[in-house]
Amino acid sequence: MNGIFFAILGAAIATVLAGIGSAKGVGSAAQTAMGVLSEDSSMFGKMLVLTLLPGTQGLYGFIVGFLILVSSGVLSGAANVTLAQGLAYAGASLAIGFGGLFSGLAQGKAAVAGIAMSAKDEKNFSKGMVSVTLVEIYALLAFIVSLLVVIQIPNLK
Amino acid sequence: MRQDRKRLLEHLQDSGLIQVVKSDKSKQGFDRVDVSSQMQVFERNVTLTEQALKILDAAAPEKTGLLSSFKGRREIDPDEIGEIASKAKKVIEICTRITELDKKRADNAAEQIRIKTRLAQLETWQKLDIPLNTTATKSTAVFIGSFPAQYTEQRLGEALAAENPKLEFELEIEHSEPGMTCAVIFVPASQKTMAEDALRALSFARPMSPTSKVPKVKTEKLKEKSRRLAEESARASEEIASYTEHRESIKSTQDYFRIRTDKYNVINHLDHSRHVFVIEGYVPEEDCEKLETLCNRVSTCHVSFGDAGEDAPVKLKNSKFAKPAQNILTMYASPGPDDLDPTPVLAFFFYFFFGMMFSDAGYGLLMVIAIGIVLKVFKPDERMRNNLKLFQYCGVSTTLWGLVFGSIFGDAPAALYNAFTGSNVVMAHSISNMGDPTPALLPWPIIDPQKDALTLMIISIAFGLVHILVGMGCKFVVCFKKKDYAGAFFDTGLWMLMLMGFAVLAAGMIASPVLITVGAVIAIASAVGLVLTQGRGKKGFGKVIGGLASLYDITSYVSDLLSYSRLLALGLTTGVMAQVFNMLSTMMGTNVLGIVFLVVIFLMGHAINIGLNALGAYVHTMRLQYVEMFSKFYEGGGKEFEPFSLNSKYIKIQEDK
Repeated sequence: MNGIFFAILGAAIATVLAGIGSAKGVGSAAQTAMGVLSEDSSMFGKMLVLTLLPGTQGLYGFIVGFLILVSSGVLSGAANVTLAQGLAYAGASLAIGFGGLFSGLAQGKAAVAGIAMSAKDEKNFSKGMVSVTLVEIYALLAFIVSLLVVIQIPNLK
Repeated sequence: MRQDRKRLLEHLQDSGLIQVVKSDKSKQGFDRVDVSSQMQVFERNVTLTEQALKILDAAAPEKTGLLSSFKGRREIDPDEIGEIASKAKKVIEICTRITELDKKRADNAAEQIRIKTRLAQLETWQKLDIPLNTTATKSTAVFIGSFPAQYTEQRLGEALAAENPKLEFELEIEHSEPGMTCAVIFVPASQKTMAEDALRALSFARPMSPTSKVPKVKTEKLKEKSRRLAEESARASEEIASYTEHRESIKSTQDYFRIRTDKYNVINHLDHSRHVFVIEGYVPEEDCEKLETLCNRVSTCHVSFGDAGEDAPVKLKNSKFAKPAQNILTMYASPGPDDLDPTPVLAFFFYFFFGMMFSDAGYGLLMVIAIGIVLKVFKPDERMRNNLKLFQYCGVSTTLWGLVFGSIFGDAPAALYNAFTGSNVVMAHSISNMGDPTPALLPWPIIDPQKDALTLMIISIAFGLVHILVGMGCKFVVCFKKKDYAGAFFDTGLWMLMLMGFAVLAAGMIASPVLITVGAVIAIASAVGLVLTQGRGKKGFGKVIGGLASLYDITSYVSDLLSYSRLLALGLTTGVMAQVFNMLSTMMGTNVLGIVFLVVIFLMGHAINIGLNALGAYVHTMRLQYVEMFSKFYEGGGKEFEPFSLNSKYIKIQEDK
């Protein structure tokens, strides 16, 4: 029995869970931003930046998913994955999957607050932006863990 | 001298050398000249022109290109100011006319809505051939109105008869729909009260606004009026549109009044005596001489300089290389009186980290070239130009890092080459995989973020260490300048030593065991130093506790350093995304359809990638500067130098007359 199923499952977990986190985060931030824009459309650039901040988790998840597909050989059609390797891919994907999911949700909330703050006074924008990126470190750590594991798995026996 | 006031102020405003201090109280022996009434007139004119421009924009939108927001203010000759001033009155008249017309349009629109509701009310009475407000004829009482239910003639008659059998009446249904019946009821004049009671019981109501005209006639009249109003509005719109050619002069006039408002605002705060007046303000040190010559040239005056004191505003002065990053600094905070100006350091690391995160030679070149063209074509204003320059320098760094990472639009050259020739080349060989026999496009070894992730992470954190150490170095210098030697050596120096000790230790793990010992010794020594010195402000037992507790700060340094792993993460993201889009675009093969597909996906994909990752790189670079570095030394809280100058929105007066 080989581990292709688990490798693909891993790619799916990474992409989907992190994607959900980002989608929800960006979605709630975008709702608030549109409220602000209905009052003052000149803030579009700033609102866009704050809205897109919770979007990175989905990107990280996608990259881990993509790297799993590449390194397991699913993409090139020459998949040669042992069961242990497949399970390892699935395990590695959990970090960015859950890390991305929850940090995306949390960052979305922070972005909403940041948008409200910049709407009151545009000078607050940079402070809001930096505060929102504070959340991102946890998605980043999850991403790095997934990444470091995934690139080593082909060497595992 | 007072008679020089106008000339001197004008020259000062043109030169923008001085920030006038606006104190609210005058000094002893001096008085204030109140020009606030003139100022109000000017301000009103500014608002008026703003309104007029808004109306004009709605009537005939200005044709603007996508890139016109980069465009700088229009440059005008100094002589043109006089011309603008002489025409100001006429322009203001035009603006007044525009706002009047707009008001008329709004009034007309409101009136038309009123007419519309009237028409809707009259709609149900179209069959009636007597005026709506008829209440009686010679021998009868007439009731015109509606019931809140649907009746036929017979049913209504029965209902009325049921209320009062003695009532004699004649009725006519004008209109009936579910929930409403409009009717006319005639009763003998003698039975008027009886009829009123019976009708009230059926919830009869007279029309809301009875007219003395037959409904049909009235309807015609209202329609006619509505038509007339519509025509009038259309004429007003046309007239407004005909003023669009004055847009430019309205803009210049607005600026003219804006400048005069500023000037009068300054006059309002000057101390006057009978013959002289006093201007007090901050001048950058290097401009003192220039200011003195200027003042002496245009007026009879005495200029004296003193120390600026603690509250003085800050004017940043930087080299061409660092200047673009000033905006990033002031977005955080202007430097306070005790701060170093961190712009050069900030600028260097900003370019460096941005490049590392965006890291693609193709994107970088694109940025450099596109911004170069925008700068040439649009000649943007200073602030915008600085922002663009910032990204141009970032573009250079992005290109260099792209070459280090072997990324030119991702792996586009290799991917396209492979797709069209069916061969199998790679962009370049990574440092960990030098012996690979496959042919490579780039002759030099690269750091491949995908294959050498661990190496790159260590490199990222090493850069982070340098960044933090530079930040602490600044703190060291600041403390030293303030003669706070304990702060410099104990609070900052020891931590720097400790971090360096750990760095040596880490390097030793890879290189040689000797370095491990050296690093460990440095780290332990500085830790001991910290325990001994950090409790120095406290008493007794607190000294020990304070010293030990300070070691706990190590966790914050560790998390700061880990934060730099984003350099790897974002760099990798750009590369992988680009690679994905390249792969997608070459998927359809190399026939005609495939090539069309390739071009579309390639352009769209890379555009998305540039947008997403440039934003990411910008935001995260900023965060590294603000959170990781500035927290080490930067106090901020200074005020920016805001000189008394030509503060205009649309026009700019050419320098050098």
